[in-house]
Amino acid sequence: MTAVDTATQGGRHGRDPEPRPSALDRARVWVASGGLKERATLLLGLIVVLLVVMSILDGVGLTSGRFNSDYLASTLIAYVPLALLALAELFVITSGRGGIDLSVGSMVSLTGVVFAMLYQQAMLPLAAAIVLAVLFGALLGAVNGFLTAYLGYPALITTLATFYAYRSIALVVSEQRPISGPEISSFYSAAKAVELPVIGASLPLVPLGVFTFLLPVAIVAWFVLNRTTYGRKLYAIGTNDTAAQWAGIDTRRTRMMAYVTAGAISGLVGVYTVAQFASARPDAGTSGSGMALPAITIAVLGGVAITGGIGRLSGILLAALLIVWLNASILLVVPGNEGAQAQLLALGVVLLGASLLSNASIRRRSTGLTKPVGVPGTAAGTSR
Amino acid sequence: MTATAPAPAPASASGQVSLRRILPPVVTGQELVLLGVLVVLWVLLGIFTPAFLTPGSIGPLLVQVAPIALIGVGMTFVIITAGIDVSVAATIMVSAVVTARVLVAADVPAVLAVLLAIAIGALLGTVNGVLIAYGRVHPIIITFGTANLFQWLGLRVFDSSTVNGIPGTLDFFGRGAAGSTLGVPHSFAIAVVAVAVAWWFLRYAKAGRNLYAIGGNQNAARLAGIKVQPRLVWVYGITGALAGLAACMIIATGTSSLDQSVGSGKELQVIAAVVIGGTSILGGRGSVVGTMLGALLVQTVVSGVTQLGWPTQLGFLFVGICILIAVGTDLIRERARRRA
Repeated sequence: MTAVDTATQGGRHGRDPEPRPSALDRARVWVASGGLKERATLLLGLIVVLLVVMSILDGVGLTSGRFNSDYLASTLIAYVPLALLALAELFVITSGRGGIDLSVGSMVSLTGVVFAMLYQQAMLPLAAAIVLAVLFGALLGAVNGFLTAYLGYPALITTLATFYAYRSIALVVSEQRPISGPEISSFYSAAKAVELPVIGASLPLVPLGVFTFLLPVAIVAWFVLNRTTYGRKLYAIGTNDTAAQWAGIDTRRTRMMAYVTAGAISGLVGVYTVAQFASARPDAGTSGSGMALPAITIAVLGGVAITGGIGRLSGILLAALLIVWLNASILLVVPGNEGAQAQLLALGVVLLGASLLSNASIRRRSTGLTKPVGVPGTAAGTSR
Repeated sequence: MTATAPAPAPASASGQVSLRRILPPVVTGQELVLLGVLVVLWVLLGIFTPAFLTPGSIGPLLVQVAPIALIGVGMTFVIITAGIDVSVAATIMVSAVVTARVLVAADVPAVLAVLLAIAIGALLGTVNGVLIAYGRVHPIIITFGTANLFQWLGLRVFDSSTVNGIPGTLDFFGRGAAGSTLGVPHSFAIAVVAVAVAWWFLRYAKAGRNLYAIGGNQNAARLAGIKVQPRLVWVYGITGALAGLAACMIIATGTSSLDQSVGSGKELQVIAAVVIGGTSILGGRGSVVGTMLGALLVQTVVSGVTQLGWPTQLGFLFVGICILIAVGTDLIRERARRRA
């Protein structure tokens, strides 16, 4: 804020003779006012850099496969669950008071198993099974929310406990065997790549899950976060819980709803993983390092403040896209097992770099050390 | 200002008095509850599965508790400073794989191997500490990031295969006859010693009290003259070093080959043990004795479920419930304390 003021003032006083600010000056003001530090811009820039670098490498012939739009579109199948779970973390982390959800992976596993049981073994219609699975996810989230918001458990503890509990239930109920069958196998069509109608012929094949799962959720989430009183309340309790309470907000109910939302989204991801793998794996969300850690990583990378109150949908979607495409690019450049390993390196470097960098720039702004625009090599130079 | 100014001389004397006043009781309520629960569980398990209360069953249980309790000591320090370290599993992995490779490649004595593992752990922990203390980013984010980096490092050393043919150099920590004296596993004895030293340190050493101050209010601690940042680096370094030592125990208790899943999931087990032990995740309060009891409780539940013939995975449901009950009773007592 102060940077904007000083910047515009400096421009007015220093450059009176000039008739009007040139495009270059306006760009400088935008940069100095934190435009580049805006997380979405930073991420978009990184995505562009990645695409350019990869296109050059592809042109020179250093990639093991073709780096083109078809390849990028096909990797979106991994983008859907990652972006959705990061969105779930956005709700929870934004609700503040140490909000975090370590149990999303376990909820994915458990709802996936429940969905498969409803759809395959109880022979319910697809729509009913999906709705029930999502409601079940919401119920699991409600347990987290009740313990955290109403009983006052720290979120890290609640969700650590339910991480163990849900994972255990998923494995015990399914007897550690994946559930599959003809219905579930044919349900794979919900996730596979399709040609878009009307304009599809000129575009690459995009996984259907992007439209059936991610897009509706993203639109609803954007609307809830930005255009409803619930969204305002969520940001309010995350920014200052006490103040929100004095402003007449039912903070406990609002916080609980954030966990319920995260549970419902996890339930949807559970259904998606069943479609993606064409079977319900009881360890779908918890195998390896699990789904929760990448989701939290993406959320943080997308600019969600771990202290609550700050976080935008655009950051989440771009951060997930950056990571998915970065992973896909690494696989082309570094073949085989080493590529999978290099993805870990890339994720760690990007996460540490982004959080350290943004923190440094926030501190510089808050302590007033940012010099006004026009001095070369200051804010514009250091913010990459 | 004027009121406190003329009291520099008797500061040490009054410091002694106030120290005694502010110290918690030697055994806290949470620890008594945990001890009670453990005794009840062991008696119940002893009744229902006669094999449980035999040396052949308790010994392996203690061996499995040791690495968790050992890292738990460091994690208790970390959480007391209001931090968290989710990278310990990756630290174990790096430390274990490098040590295992060295053991396979050269005939090094056990002492050197242990020192190497500890040094690697301490180095990685120090990286965490420096980034957290000077980067001023929330510890959970930093350690998520470094966990990825460490994992990459570990997988590079693994080189896409398992490490086979590890010699029995580290059997001192193992399950076998070489791993225990008079029925007490060495690894568990080491963990007990570590807990005892840490208990004394947190209670009576100035540096230990400083950790509580940092966790209570970092700014107040800094204004009171505590060098917060070096302390934080040290705390994460110690946690890494203990994870390195735990890695030796994990190598010793495993088979002669080491695969890439080594350490996986340990970070959450350690955090579970610490919070069950009554350490507040918000910082400023906690005890290592509680952590040891918490680690024992978790392992008892997991082993007990297996011995009762129930599905192994069911044990983790009870672990989750244990976390909720333990922290719940702590929350209730904390509220009562505040009301009093």
